Amino acid sequence: MPQRVLKFSKTMPDSSIFVHGAISADDIANAIQRLSEFQNIGAHSIFIGQVRSDAIEDQIVSAIDYAAYKEMAEQKALELISETVQTYQLNTAMVQHSLGMVKSGEICLFVLTASRHRKSSLEACAYLVERIKKELPVWGKEILEKGGHIWKKNTE
Amino acid sequence: MEKNRIKILAFGQLTDHVASSGFEMDFVQDTDTLKERLYENYPGLKNLHFSIAVDKKIVNSNTHLAAGCEIALLPPFSGG
Repeated sequence: MPQRVLKFSKTMPDSSIFVHGAISADDIANAIQRLSEFQNIGAHSIFIGQVRSDAIEDQIVSAIDYAAYKEMAEQKALELISETVQTYQLNTAMVQHSLGMVKSGEICLFVLTASRHRKSSLEACAYLVERIKKELPVWGKEILEKGGHIWKKNTE
Repeated sequence: MEKNRIKILAFGQLTDHVASSGFEMDFVQDTDTLKERLYENYPGLKNLHFSIAVDKKIVNSNTHLAAGCEIALLPPFSGG
């Protein structure tokens, strides 16, 4: 009998949502590849967050140094993923977030939702990204090229 | 840690004002008293917005503190 619902996972390589430093394109490729064995999946939606080189009062952001209240964040991520999987009837959802330094142009967040049809995966992906941005206890310190830092503020 | 002390974790921009590894204070009974003490000891925190989490749950009203509970000061999140 075909497996209907794949057990959701927080991440790809291990049980934590956090990876040290940038998320590599290989990590993302591997996550997509891994799901090919679940042949009841018809749609993957992915969100990739990349560190933007903002200019703040003629200072350029060269990297973001991420810190988290890890235990709370892991717990919260699990809640959010499990709620999203149930609400949108997903086959699976994955979340990876960077900790520590991520340079401008590198990837700091990866979210994947997979379902039978496109509508639920697309909507679930947007929903999960918003919840992550609002509710995960993670903070970004924007490191300025000429020295010093500014605390990142998330926009709506 | 002595029994009459509490350990407080702080994150994000609060770590410009207190140690990022956390700090200790004399035990207080509830979160309202905790805030008063924090503002006395670290006046720089007065101008910053933050929530208090007790044992990893954000509390929105005055909450009784038990010995050995984990307190964390959480400024607005900015992940992703």
